[in-house]
Amino acid sequence: MIDKRAVPNFIFFGGKGGTGKTTCAGSFALKMAREGKKTLVISTDPAHSLADAFGVTIGPEIAKIGENLWAVEVDAEREAKKYMKQIQDQMLDLVSAAIVEEIKKQLEIAYLSPGAEEGAIFDKFIEIMHLMGKPYDLMVFDTAPTGHTLRLLTLPEVLGIWIQHLIDRHEKARNLMKASVKYDEILKKRLEDDPIIRVLTERSKKFEFARGILTDPEACEFIFVLNAEKLPILETERAISLLEKFSIPVGGIVINKVIPQEAGEYFERRREVQEGYLKDIYQRFSSYRIVSLPLLEMDIQGMSQLNMVADLMGELIEE
Amino acid sequence: MGNRKMSEDEKKSFFDTFKEWFGAFSYGVFIDKRMSVVRKEAYDEYDNLMLLLFSDFLGIPNPISYYMLELLPYLAEELEPWERRIQNRKFIVAEKAAQYDFD
Repeated sequence: MIDKRAVPNFIFFGGKGGTGKTTCAGSFALKMAREGKKTLVISTDPAHSLADAFGVTIGPEIAKIGENLWAVEVDAEREAKKYMKQIQDQMLDLVSAAIVEEIKKQLEIAYLSPGAEEGAIFDKFIEIMHLMGKPYDLMVFDTAPTGHTLRLLTLPEVLGIWIQHLIDRHEKARNLMKASVKYDEILKKRLEDDPIIRVLTERSKKFEFARGILTDPEACEFIFVLNAEKLPILETERAISLLEKFSIPVGGIVINKVIPQEAGEYFERRREVQEGYLKDIYQRFSSYRIVSLPLLEMDIQGMSQLNMVADLMGELIEE
Repeated sequence: MGNRKMSEDEKKSFFDTFKEWFGAFSYGVFIDKRMSVVRKEAYDEYDNLMLLLFSDFLGIPNPISYYMLELLPYLAEELEPWERRIQNRKFIVAEKAAQYDFD
């Protein structure tokens, strides 16, 4: 019996597009579910393929898809719409309908702004993270291709600073205002109740929560999936250095689609090139756990085939 | 009989009236002027804050605009006047000068 290490509760699978992130995340989740961990697989890639990999339908709400196994595909558009609706409803309680009508235009603009999709995914992300332990023991994230995910994961740090700055600025304006209404009782009263600071602080707390988890090596781990080719290697190296800059722990590397010796003559030349890249990978990423998955005769699809790969993923949780 | 002495009550009320008038006088002469300068500064500060929150509406990209929509319910009423003010800023030097009472 091989010793197993304590696996963090949040595992992220990432890497360049087409390297097999979904397959790895899916089979890893299956493996952990088989070991008795209540596992939730979450796809944050706007182009979802989790359902295709498992061969079952998975929606934007968490659904049970197997023994100890749940899955969800985060739908950015749906989350953004829900968020807007909530704001509009809240606004109706506070201001007149005429103003709400006017503000609708602004909401539309924000909805189409570049950060909206990430914002929506990130919100859902935090909501899901709060479900840890109720009842899930493990969350496996099948993320979008590298660039997108890195932006998402570094969001709390960047926005946290921004929010703090906003709070400081607001404090300054408020203090000035307070000084100016020293002799004006009505305005003074109006300043007492300040929802802006409350909203900003709540936001900042959410970022803090996510950041706390993302930077804790005992809680979270990032696993890169790559192929033995030049571009994925370079991209992975860059991504790792960025994650390290933001102190997000990197746990391991999965080399997917490694051409096996018995592939035959046709692949001989390709395999020789691959040897070089493999050596390169083991050298560059020597400080991480490395697992290699062979190129199979067919593509991996459906629960039973994922199950076959699941055993190979076991190396990731060995001591 | 003889000179009516001011009763204690009357004295108090006279003093109070004096205080009230003096208060109003000094408020007008010293405090109001000074406070209006501070208040103008505070309004400017709030305008700048609005710019940081909703610069998106003016076409300036803002990394956090999506989350700042949460503040809209509380700031909705101030949004339209703010947009008008910020778009009509023609001469910032004059604006600043007015604040320091050079007229």
